[in-house]
Amino acid sequence: MDKSNRPFFSNLKCRECGKLYEKKAIHVCEYDFGPLEAAYDYDAIRTSISRAAIESRPQTMWRYRELLPIDGEPTVGAQVGFTPLVKADRLAAKLGIKSLYIKNDTVNYPTLSFKDRVVSVALSRACELGFKVVACASTGNLANSVAANAAAAGLKSYVLIPADLEQGKVLGSLVYGTNVIGIHGPYDQVNRLCSEIAGKYGWGFVNVNLRPYYAEGSKTMGFEICEQLGWRIPRHTVAPMASGSLLTKIHKAYNEFVKVGIVEDAKFSVHGAQATGCAPIAHAMQRGTDIVKPVPKPDTIAKSLAIGTPADGYYAIHAMRQTGGGAEDVTDDEIVDGIKLLAEHAGIFAETAGGVTVACAKKLIASGKIPRDEEAVLCITGHGLKTQEAIAGKCGELRLIKPSLRDFEEQIYNPDMAATA
Amino acid sequence: MNMTDKHRLWLMFPTKLITRPIIWELGKKFEVITNIRQCSVNEEIGLVSLELEGDRDEVKRSIAWLEEQGVKVEPVEINTIEG
Repeated sequence: MDKSNRPFFSNLKCRECGKLYEKKAIHVCEYDFGPLEAAYDYDAIRTSISRAAIESRPQTMWRYRELLPIDGEPTVGAQVGFTPLVKADRLAAKLGIKSLYIKNDTVNYPTLSFKDRVVSVALSRACELGFKVVACASTGNLANSVAANAAAAGLKSYVLIPADLEQGKVLGSLVYGTNVIGIHGPYDQVNRLCSEIAGKYGWGFVNVNLRPYYAEGSKTMGFEICEQLGWRIPRHTVAPMASGSLLTKIHKAYNEFVKVGIVEDAKFSVHGAQATGCAPIAHAMQRGTDIVKPVPKPDTIAKSLAIGTPADGYYAIHAMRQTGGGAEDVTDDEIVDGIKLLAEHAGIFAETAGGVTVACAKKLIASGKIPRDEEAVLCITGHGLKTQEAIAGKCGELRLIKPSLRDFEEQIYNPDMAATA
Repeated sequence: MNMTDKHRLWLMFPTKLITRPIIWELGKKFEVITNIRQCSVNEEIGLVSLELEGDRDEVKRSIAWLEEQGVKVEPVEINTIEG
């Protein structure tokens, strides 16, 4: 709230018709079924927020709390965010661009993916709205984050997953004491069941009835990028696209920072990255349309991006077009190369979605969509330990020797030969 | 008495079904109330936001029939499953 007690976060608003709604656990417009999103009183925020005020706060994503959709102080995930922005000069040289930064959410707290940002907002709002049970439907990172953050906050949680999900990913949620429910059937039927459950039992479903709050958490990645660059918007930003939400929220974050006077208005472009085996948004961009054709059976190792019917695809396309951005897609082999490029040139081990982002950035630079004499920020959203199976056997081999110096010098390292090499 | 359900759905029509009056057929074939809220059609795909109301089993049968015809039926939220 500002000094006159006006709330900064004012309403929910339909993204299609603009109709305003109260700040409840609702997510679609009653009239046109358009998605609702958080709306703010930017005039009130402008008079209250400043760079100095932000800098004086703890280094977490909540330092931008005026632009986040909760009424009071955060109660869940108070430590989340403010991950490193790494200047990656060796990777820049490899990709042939003047300046390159990695926004490194592989080390986001507590579950090593950017999902902790959205979940901490959703669950903080769930507590304000009085929910005692929270839930989500997920194939991995989101499930882990809901389970962990709910456990820390003492909320009961349910995690719904497709019945055929790998055991490793199930364990990453079970360990927090959450209820993990496997559902048989194709994804569209599972989707319908989840929205029925959310409507029927009054649970706080983070990506259904809490979605307007949840999605706003992604903006903090954009806010942090601006602050860490010295309070300015980067010329190019490349983000992975699953539902397309992250890209649209980074776009919103940059525009909001301009609107409230935190950064100067500057030309920027947002670019999207997808895997070829599930690229409905990138393909619509490449076809020059804003109608996203669903992918009935996604087939890619980048499972965290494998959403065949992306809810924010239309809005992501408009954000990319409006800013002069582009979209690329990459094969599974290119994804593995992207993971290795990032690891070998920046020392960062990313999950498959990170490989998608790096490999697509490589293409965007090679095609001139991102000019070589400009700068880019790559959004790396999850840790490689989560998808180790994707690169197993593709990163060189273990070399075995006996415990003898002769073996070592014959097979591994010969100082005489090394000196002449 | 049977349970009544109201579903908010997002229908995706492939190219070959765009010109067929499927929502009219649905209303003839099943005891359901159809209420279109938004739509967008081009030569490749048709997208319709539809409220479907009726007896729970009848709604289930009508959704199954839509899918048999080749229409993709999602909740309006679309991707409730995320990575």
